[in-house]
Amino acid sequence: MKLQLCHYSGYKIYPGHGKTMVRTDGKTFVFLNSKCERGYRLKRNPREVRWTILYRRKHKKGMDEETAKKRTRRTQKYQRAIVGASLTDIMAKRNMKPEVRKAQREQAIRAAKEKTRAAKATKKSNSNTQKPNKKATQKIAKVPKAARPGTHGGHAGHGSRR
Amino acid sequence: MSNVLLQRMVLQSSKGTAGLHTSSTLHEIRKMARLRVVDNSKIGKAAMLEGKPPRCIHVYNKKSVGHTGDKVLVAIKGQMKRAILVGCHQDQKPLMPKFDTNNIVLIDDNGTPLGNRIHVPIPTMLRKKLVDMSRPKSADYTKILAIATRFV
Repeated sequence: MKLQLCHYSGYKIYPGHGKTMVRTDGKTFVFLNSKCERGYRLKRNPREVRWTILYRRKHKKGMDEETAKKRTRRTQKYQRAIVGASLTDIMAKRNMKPEVRKAQREQAIRAAKEKTRAAKATKKSNSNTQKPNKKATQKIAKVPKAARPGTHGGHAGHGSRR
Repeated sequence: MSNVLLQRMVLQSSKGTAGLHTSSTLHEIRKMARLRVVDNSKIGKAAMLEGKPPRCIHVYNKKSVGHTGDKVLVAIKGQMKRAILVGCHQDQKPLMPKFDTNNIVLIDDNGTPLGNRIHVPIPTMLRKKLVDMSRPKSADYTKILAIATRFV
């Protein structure tokens, strides 16, 4: 048999006990005994009546034995665009494949080496022999760099279409 | 008249009459009781809307007091109609739920309800009583349970 809960006190109602009442709006109330029914009829709020379970729950009486759910505050990690790097830029940099990254790195190293070499060459003041080399490295450096803005432009283009 | 006597008289009249003890109302369904039609029959809706609820004019009971499940005769919109009591404000027998209003469902002589839906909760305990009331060849009063939507 179904064990109901008293609407007022919150106690269990075993078969053979209790009284049900249907209000005009159709809501059904089950009371354990006339004490609960009277409390309801006198319009006493069960949350202010000390012995009811609703009161005890509200004032957290005797709840220590029951495990209280602890809700830990967790900050959500959220990718945000920063001044100087839009979200697409950040995502592109993050999602870059290791090979691509390695290639870029090597390129950067090469460029840096070329720069130092060029600086050394100017210092040694052998400008005639170094000029054609400089031009060649600059061309290599420029082409891949041109390709990159293209991909970013592609992203931006998609964004504007939407 | 003395001042004290005057004051007493005023007090008594304000209280009503001092020293009278009334018993609480019995909420019995007898003749002249106003009832609430809970099905969606045309005549029932019209009467309730009008503000002239049907009045009980006869209770088909040996004790003239209607309980949940009793057949009653009501006067509604100038007509006489039969009805079944599906909820009483009075305390009923144990296990029968109590309602805040005295609800009826209009039926004809064969027990078929006039409306086709009841939106108010109907006690399931009604079934036994209605089955006992029903006659196999003539009246089947359990049809009102078929049109009920909610049970209690």
